[in-house]
Amino acid sequence: MADYREAPLATRPKTLDPNEYFNLSPDYRRAEAERAALRAGLKRQYQLQLNNPHRKELIEDPALNRWVYARANPYNHFKATKKTSLLGALFGVAPLFILYYVFKTDRVRSFNWMCAGLWVC
Amino acid sequence: MRVSFVSQSSQCQEMAGVGFQRWVRTLSKGKISGISGLLPACRSASGVSKDMLPGKYNIRVEDYKPIADNGEGYGDYPQLPDRSQQDRDPAYQWDHPDLRRNWNEPMHWDFDMFIRNRVDTSPTVVPWSTMCKQLFGFVGFMLFMFYLGDKFPAYQPVGPKQFPYNNLHLERGGSPDVEPEEVKNYEI
Repeated sequence: MADYREAPLATRPKTLDPNEYFNLSPDYRRAEAERAALRAGLKRQYQLQLNNPHRKELIEDPALNRWVYARANPYNHFKATKKTSLLGALFGVAPLFILYYVFKTDRVRSFNWMCAGLWVC
Repeated sequence: MRVSFVSQSSQCQEMAGVGFQRWVRTLSKGKISGISGLLPACRSASGVSKDMLPGKYNIRVEDYKPIADNGEGYGDYPQLPDRSQQDRDPAYQWDHPDLRRNWNEPMHWDFDMFIRNRVDTSPTVVPWSTMCKQLFGFVGFMLFMFYLGDKFPAYQPVGPKQFPYNNLHLERGGSPDVEPEEVKNYEI
């Protein structure tokens, strides 16, 4: 498997990652074992709930709830830094003035043309 | 500590939902009350001790890295690798096969962008530089050739159009009484 090349349009599978069979340091292996234990625990919880014959309600997904809450409440952690102020000014304040100026100028010019008889649609 | 994490859950299965027991465990370790113990929170205000991270986000303490705090509202949400769902193993048995995600797995902040219908980070057949060269090379070449064709037009020589009936004398509004001058548009 040392000469495995990735299939086109796909990443290398985890089991063929060179770290898995060359990196045999205890720290790396312990880290991988902990991650696998976490994953296995979550799988087990899900399967218990899924196959529970007395379950009548939906299985709620706490990670999904956390994600939805985090995405819905960014303003609780908002801070006015240089970057955020610049973005706010660029996307929130500047378009108002620019668009007002553009529309007003265009309207005034076409009105004057129409009055002078120069307007050609 | 993490080995016992699996065995404790087997003892309190009759409780309403597995989320409840983990909520209790998280609260017993930290000082946070209520539902906010499990929700994403401020970095400084949450008092997130390193022990609570497995209970809260289900990732290892060493793997946890919060998104850069530049005031853009991320809180203490973890930074996960920027890989799309299309990049994940199609042969593994996911809990949600269309999303290629397991139940209660921590979701990327931009998860809705990385679904399989949208942004895809899987490797391309040819490198990015080759793709750029091919596309811009072709488009640039075509633009250049059209510019040259505009500058140096090439068509058959033409002269002004010739009309019969004395250059269409009547059709152009000439009166029928007036004799038009004879126009000869040909040479024999």
